[in-house]
Amino acid sequence: MIALEQDPLVERQGRRFDLDASVTSIHWVDDTAWLACGDGIVRRISVEGDYKPLAAHQGAILSAAADPDGGALLTGGDDGRVLRLARDGSAEEVGHFGRYWIEHLVASPKSGIIVAGVGKEAVVWLRGQRDAAHRFQFASTIGGLALDGKGKRLAATHYGGASLLFAASASSGNIALKWAGSHLGCTLSADGSYLVSAMQETGLHGWKLPQKTDIAMRGYKAKTRSFSWSHRNKWLATGGDSSAILWPFEGKTGPVGKRPLLLGASESLVTKVAFHPRLDFLAAGYADGSVALLSTADDISINVEKPVSRAISALSWRADGAMLAWGSEQGSAGLLEVDPVTRMALAPYRQQPG
Amino acid sequence: MIVNEFGEIGIDNDLIVDADEEVFEMNNGCICCTVRGDLIRIIEGLMKRNGQFDAIIIETTGLADPAPVAQTFFVDEDVQARASLDAIVTVVDAKHILLRLDDSHEAEEQIAFADIILLNKTDLVTPQGLEEVKQRIRAINNQARLFETINAQIPLDQVLGLGAFDLDRILQIEPDFLGEDEHEHDDQITSVSLHSERPLDPENFHNWISEITSTRGQDLLRTKGIIAFPNEPKRFVVQGVHMLLSGDLQDRTWNEGEPRISRLVFIGRNLDGDELAREFAALAA
Repeated sequence: MIALEQDPLVERQGRRFDLDASVTSIHWVDDTAWLACGDGIVRRISVEGDYKPLAAHQGAILSAAADPDGGALLTGGDDGRVLRLARDGSAEEVGHFGRYWIEHLVASPKSGIIVAGVGKEAVVWLRGQRDAAHRFQFASTIGGLALDGKGKRLAATHYGGASLLFAASASSGNIALKWAGSHLGCTLSADGSYLVSAMQETGLHGWKLPQKTDIAMRGYKAKTRSFSWSHRNKWLATGGDSSAILWPFEGKTGPVGKRPLLLGASESLVTKVAFHPRLDFLAAGYADGSVALLSTADDISINVEKPVSRAISALSWRADGAMLAWGSEQGSAGLLEVDPVTRMALAPYRQQPG
Repeated sequence: MIVNEFGEIGIDNDLIVDADEEVFEMNNGCICCTVRGDLIRIIEGLMKRNGQFDAIIIETTGLADPAPVAQTFFVDEDVQARASLDAIVTVVDAKHILLRLDDSHEAEEQIAFADIILLNKTDLVTPQGLEEVKQRIRAINNQARLFETINAQIPLDQVLGLGAFDLDRILQIEPDFLGEDEHEHDDQITSVSLHSERPLDPENFHNWISEITSTRGQDLLRTKGIIAFPNEPKRFVVQGVHMLLSGDLQDRTWNEGEPRISRLVFIGRNLDGDELAREFAALAA
């Protein structure tokens, strides 16, 4: 691997933030990074140094998703509430579920659907409706939720496999995908042709749809807690090993019989991955708090942040791909402006779209 | 249930977590490796609160099997990295326990798994009755710390923050305290305490303990031991739940002049104490 020796890029092209709380997820609202944290506060930060805290939950924010209509963040907490936090700082309660934790929240700007994972139930809100429209019940607690690119297909993982439904329909049929073991987080490919889940025993399990062909993706050192698809769905990048593991999803059979690409090898585990939204390179966050940019074409790695803290727990690109944000379990966070030269170095121009 | 600054403020009701008990089989070929999926999830979620609490108290139902709870701390690497099991505390109703032991498997297992036993409602039984109950408990688990209580009154520092699961205390066990039970039946849980004044051969010990836990893991509820190896200044600590076994050299060394006695305790069913003692003695270097 060619590691470009240099000071961390954040020192030249970005800004560090020291927060007092664990960062649980990062989303972009109006081009500003909103960091949801373990103390119930959302922190809005900018590369110019703006820092605006927004008190939201009594307890940890366990899940978050950008509001489908834009301009707001949806958050789920261990206080049992789902909130909509608007850009003016106001908070509206979308739902309250007693002592249950809101561990999963997904939303689609295309369909306008919002789904929260509340214990064994997936609670669905339809576009523009104030109250939840319906709930889907599963046999065990939901391990992960995912929507496809159109925001229509909903996948829920749980003990013994996954379920596939049409989110908008209360009477949706439930396609059962069975595989022994406890399934945690999951992701659906944009076209809905693959569902991939992370297993408690480590490793991934995939299903090719609609045939339901099983695909085993094993060899991970730890549980996978992060998935990211490349912009044209050529790769699925995953965490849970000492390299970022990229599975090829081109062609009719996807990763079946193919080897994954291993990038950014480190002594530390990769905890978070995030593909650039427009180009074939990705950001990886590690268990030692470091962050790197990794090229899929040339095995080039650029050091963004050195090991400064505990594990990176959130990593997210702004939609235009010009800004990267990260946060750690310990509260270290950063923003990086990724200039065209850096982008060019990582994704040679033959791959540039247009 | 999470206890916030215990002792001073008491329990903050907002921090009580309800969870559906979900016992999962691990899909790893180990037939008794069951874990509590709900516990894995909750500990992970709580860690996001970063230092906003001191300890986690897991209160199971009276019918819960303690093994999956304990095994979760062995099997799940994330839980292992972020939390450690301090102690398993079992509250025993002195008035009703003898009946429960006759009709319930769980009561016996909960006593067998305990590091600390609160023998409660002692004011409701006669001294002879109490003695009988203690004999019975000791026959199942001869090495848990036992406190007699009324209304479960006990200083919190006797039950919390003890590190009882780290086995340091095992050196205090009276090795010959093995109560003889008159109405012993086949699947009754008993404790077997083994000790050796000669250091053990490391390889023989590893082979022997691995063999026992892998072939008889279903019968073994708890295994705990501190072992002396020849020319090894550190103490080797081993502990297990069913088939899961973990062993490591402790930072703590044998003290100057401290007798280097290896001790091992098995709590489980169908244990032949004499045979195990013979095998253990043969492991000496």
